[in-house]
Amino acid sequence: MKKFLLCALVVSLLCVSTSSLAAEKKPVVGLVMKSLANEFFKTMEEGARKFAAEDGTFELIPVGMNSETDIDTQINAVENFITQKVDMIVLAPADSVGLVPSVKKAVDAGIAVVNFDVTLDKKAIADNGLPEDFLFVGPDNTLGSELVGKYLAEKLGKKAKVIIIEGNPGADNAKQRKEGFMKVVDAYELDLLESTTAHWETEEANTVMTNLLTKYPDVQGVMCANDSMALGVVKAIEAAGKIDKIAVVGFDNIEACQALIKEGKMLATVDQFGPEMAANAIKVGFRILKGEKVSGWEKTPVEVVSKETLR
Amino acid sequence: MQGKNIQSRKWLHLLLNEAGIGLIFVVLCGLFAAFVPNFASLNNISNIFTQISINTVISTGMTFVILLGGIDLSVGSVLSLCTILAGMTITNKALPFPFALVGAVGASILCGMICGFFNGFVAEKWKVHSFVVTLGMLNIARGAALQISGSRTIFSFPAAFNAFGTMAVGGVPVIFVMAVTGVSLGHFVLKKTVFGRMIYAIGNNEEAVRLCGHNTRKYKISAFVLCGACVGVAAVMYMLRLNIASPILGAGFELSAIAAVVIGGTSMSGGKGSLVGTLIGAAIIGVLNNGLLLIGMKDFARQMVTGLIIVAAVVLDTYRVRLSRLFS
Repeated sequence: MKKFLLCALVVSLLCVSTSSLAAEKKPVVGLVMKSLANEFFKTMEEGARKFAAEDGTFELIPVGMNSETDIDTQINAVENFITQKVDMIVLAPADSVGLVPSVKKAVDAGIAVVNFDVTLDKKAIADNGLPEDFLFVGPDNTLGSELVGKYLAEKLGKKAKVIIIEGNPGADNAKQRKEGFMKVVDAYELDLLESTTAHWETEEANTVMTNLLTKYPDVQGVMCANDSMALGVVKAIEAAGKIDKIAVVGFDNIEACQALIKEGKMLATVDQFGPEMAANAIKVGFRILKGEKVSGWEKTPVEVVSKETLR
Repeated sequence: MQGKNIQSRKWLHLLLNEAGIGLIFVVLCGLFAAFVPNFASLNNISNIFTQISINTVISTGMTFVILLGGIDLSVGSVLSLCTILAGMTITNKALPFPFALVGAVGASILCGMICGFFNGFVAEKWKVHSFVVTLGMLNIARGAALQISGSRTIFSFPAAFNAFGTMAVGGVPVIFVMAVTGVSLGHFVLKKTVFGRMIYAIGNNEEAVRLCGHNTRKYKISAFVLCGACVGVAAVMYMLRLNIASPILGAGFELSAIAAVVIGGTSMSGGKGSLVGTLIGAAIIGVLNNGLLLIGMKDFARQMVTGLIIVAAVVLDTYRVRLSRLFS
């Protein structure tokens, strides 16, 4: 009986796989994501799956990885997709330099490659013999943090005392977001008391902010490079009883921060429309597959989210 | 003259042997207090108490495991899984608050104990080193936390729960009171109960204990379960402090806990060490984090100096042991 069941299983599996091969001549899209442990990428992946299901004209193979810095897994994923001869690879690189050789291989194999979310390094692109204006679909992180920083500065006025809580040192989006904040610091002549990292982490941001409050009790505003850290910062300010004296802005627009903004404990955050981002990148990829020549930076929207916009 | 000399030698021996790492801690605090404005303010001390509480409770459990010559690398991930289960329970609108609270605390501690039991059982049953088993559990628990939560942060806990977390008893944060209670209980168990003495005995010479007819397996598994329970408690404390439950929190907590235990003078090969040391170890890490930031040291320098001081503390400790032998 057991053997029979096993045989039946194997036969049916074979049928399914051959039939799917025969019936579906749909183009195959390999989606290489960053860490799905990150709420932002998780919603992005869900958005892409939803788009694939609704669209129905292509097959989507999403691949995530274990941590933000797991470059090897991404390289392996791209190489597996090359072996499988997919039609399109949509890639959010974990490392803007490390992934370039794999991208070159894919392009050479005739696969349409769309780089999204984090842009590949310009110099590495040139060194590997790819066109300098290689396509990138993604948000302007610098612009996003500049917009939300401006929103804060408008509230506080010129020369206000502020602190920046940075993301992981070395991460490209962390660098870009700090750059945007720094533009605001210059434009509004803000008094930057301290700029320090909390490695994207809630607990670390809470500890760092609590300690900084001891050092700078008169700080007026805090700019956080992501919302997870903003959660910890708001909690630290709340514990110090200064929630109505210090304004906090973040980046990413996660649900927990929306709640804080509605309660008036946090000033604003930035939405870069994660759920649509991967889907947008796939759409651009199909334009390439149809023969269109697409290059340069296809910017996706960034928007400040505040109490007014949440209503 | 001779008598007085012996007396002072005895004192030195006692000081070196018992106070040990505490001396280094006192010197460190003295230096910071002298050179860093606000370091010694009541407010800052209270902040440090809050900041070391979670690590202290995890390190308490870790001490039991390390005293047996084992290690638990899964504490950070298990903590995260515990917060997810507790967070889902406490935000469940169908449950009235008292039930939700009890359910959440229960779920967290039970989850920690089950993970601990898994670690201990596999390590003992198949004689796999706990390094490997708990490395596996690190991934299992993290994966489970992400799967169950769908990678999402859980928030909006009941207001009463959040308010309790920020409470202070006579200036002492309530979660630090919990941590000290935990350490005291652990200290009592280690020093005054048969279970505690067996932990030391097994850590020193497992074979001898086994040949005496004791079931060492039972004690070793219990130590992992106890460690898991501590992680469950620490998870509730995390939620009290930050009012969120998240599947990505706790990465690297195992290293802070191991550092606290080792700085506290517990031997990695087992059999030697105490929870008083662990508490001081956790305090040293907390004071360094706080003091170096207040001095105005930059990120990377801070990281390097913390690392250096950890190594230096342990090296100094070996001299202390030698010195105390000299005077005995």
